[in-house]
Amino acid sequence: MDSLYGIFLYAIYLLTMGGIYAVLVMGLNIQWGFTGLFNAGIAGFFAVGAYTSAIISTASSGRHLGGLSLPLWASLPGAMIASALIAWAVAWICIRLRSDYLAIATLGIAEILRLVLKNEDWATNGARGISRIPKPFEDLPEPWNQIAMLLLVLAILLVLYLLLERARRAPWGRVMTAIRENEAAARAAGKNVEGFRIEAFVLGGALMGLGGALMAHHVKFIDPNMAEPLSTTFIVWVMLIIGGSGNNKGALFGAFLVWTLWSTSEIVTTRLPAEWELKSAYLRFFLVGLALQIILQRYPAGILKEHRPIGK
Amino acid sequence: MKKSFLITGAAVVATGISSAFAADIKVGSAGGITGPIPDLVAPMMAARDLAAKHINEQGGLLDGDNYMLVKGDSKCDAKGAVDTGQKLVNVEQVVAIIGPNCSGATIGMAESVTIPAGVVILSESATAPSITDLEDKGLVFRNAPSDAYQGAALADMVMESGYNKVAVTYANDDYNKGIAEVFEAAFKSGGGMITASAEHEPEKASYTSEISTLSRSGAEALMVFAYYGSSGTTIIRNSLENGLFDMFFGADGMRNEEIITDIGADNLRGKIMVSAPSSDTESSSYKMFAEEFSAAGEDPSAVYTPGSYDAAFLMALAIEKAGGTDRGAIAEALMEVANAPGEAIMPGQWEKAKAAIAAGRDINYQGASGSIEFDANGDVAGTYSLSVIDNNGKWVEK
Repeated sequence: MDSLYGIFLYAIYLLTMGGIYAVLVMGLNIQWGFTGLFNAGIAGFFAVGAYTSAIISTASSGRHLGGLSLPLWASLPGAMIASALIAWAVAWICIRLRSDYLAIATLGIAEILRLVLKNEDWATNGARGISRIPKPFEDLPEPWNQIAMLLLVLAILLVLYLLLERARRAPWGRVMTAIRENEAAARAAGKNVEGFRIEAFVLGGALMGLGGALMAHHVKFIDPNMAEPLSTTFIVWVMLIIGGSGNNKGALFGAFLVWTLWSTSEIVTTRLPAEWELKSAYLRFFLVGLALQIILQRYPAGILKEHRPIGK
Repeated sequence: MKKSFLITGAAVVATGISSAFAADIKVGSAGGITGPIPDLVAPMMAARDLAAKHINEQGGLLDGDNYMLVKGDSKCDAKGAVDTGQKLVNVEQVVAIIGPNCSGATIGMAESVTIPAGVVILSESATAPSITDLEDKGLVFRNAPSDAYQGAALADMVMESGYNKVAVTYANDDYNKGIAEVFEAAFKSGGGMITASAEHEPEKASYTSEISTLSRSGAEALMVFAYYGSSGTTIIRNSLENGLFDMFFGADGMRNEEIITDIGADNLRGKIMVSAPSSDTESSSYKMFAEEFSAAGEDPSAVYTPGSYDAAFLMALAIEKAGGTDRGAIAEALMEVANAPGEAIMPGQWEKAKAAIAAGRDINYQGASGSIEFDANGDVAGTYSLSVIDNNGKWVEK
């Protein structure tokens, strides 16, 4: 195979994965960037979305719930609804908690969700996961199948970006900023702070579910290991903080930048001398941490800073 | 292809200087370098590298080309495996992949990357029964037997050892749970009795309450299906400290020296037996491997390492047999070089294999881990044995 063509295919994959992470980061941006809700349980909503779409779209296997074989237009909204419902239940219970307490609560809830999914064998096939999840356009010839998947992800991103930019500039977005900056003042102005916080949490949760669903379709497999905090929750946080919290462009940029660094760094580290080869995998964690430090030293508010919409 | 034709021509004219034209032939070596089982994976990677070293020392692939293993970190996670698989297949342009190690990672990489790309993969440790059913177009192989074999074999061996009433505890992951389920079914159908069975979450600080519940069931021994590092060692320590059980059986996830150093050989001797894919340590294939691997400063009894060596050696044989770097031809050749009939080739005998292939003779690799005969699903049947702790505090096959 021609090596340029191979790099082209890898670039498509890189952008597709970056785009899927961007959906997750946009979800977190609504919660943390707009409203100041510290959600440390991204992996939980990701997993609910991934499993829901897997169950909706797979053929009957006898090992897990399923057999509906429904197409994408059912599985993606289904995943968003399931994650939104869970997010609503979580928000209803603990949205009044202050930021760091909310972080601890959501961290615990994500772990509960992961363990439930891991243990309810009848629905999820437990630790062995759900395989044979259909991938959109997989019957097209290469490379069109991969290009079509990328275009689908990018189209979803574009729609989300336009909607969220609109929301951010609208009065709704300004209330969110007010709640984040000074909750007492927002309350004094007569705003239903709890209601708005629940809205932000549910909307963000729905997007995380969508990200999970896209990941499940892309990888064609989901198991509880894929909802480990390191590769889902924390990397999404790093993406948002580096890109620029509160800024939708920053969220997009951060997702693509960090994912590209994360994935391509292996191409570099495998070229290290043999005695470094096994250590190099860990070196990547270190390099990403180092990049976070340097970028935050240089850009304390993220690379693309938040621009407040100015009221007329 | 034209280039390799020219190289062939040159090599025929002057065999002695053919290495001057040597190119790299890249094969992916994917494994869970980071993730939950890094200390099981490191020696497996070393065993694959040892095979590559032997091959390169004895003339290399094809026309003196360098057999180059490109490492990829599949993180024991399907996302990570897909990521590293994309890089190996598209950026590094490998002709085949050895690994990954974990079953979920193997399914993810196979379904999403390597099957669509037409790249053959050979894992030495992915044991989930569901891999058998993948629609893999003949591109997914493993030289570790499916857990379905080990669970059944262990049930027989426990009964032969004289235990008919056992309690079972298993870590809630795909590997241990798979073995436990097969074991329980086989043990019952063989006339044994499972007095109690409970799963446990790995990485807990103590399992005393879980085990004391199991110990009240009147069992003669405790079956521990777990990875030693994440829960197995703790379960055995808790049981011994509290006098809950004094006889344990386990599967190959427990067969590690660390469990002996942690608890002490004297405390464990005669109380624990674990099954592992039998590498028939008396076979000359295994001895060859063990000698070389020990000389390289590694432990040949580390689980799956003979299979790792075999996987890397088999893939090289398949490339040699295919006569080039065409991915499809390599996939087809893999089964031919592993299965009977043919001239027996043992670990380290690369020159002999190369000569046989050049002469057009069929070969049959007899690996360090066993004879390795792939069935139509790309699986191998397993033979297992029980290991015990000897007087030197090492695992030995009984």
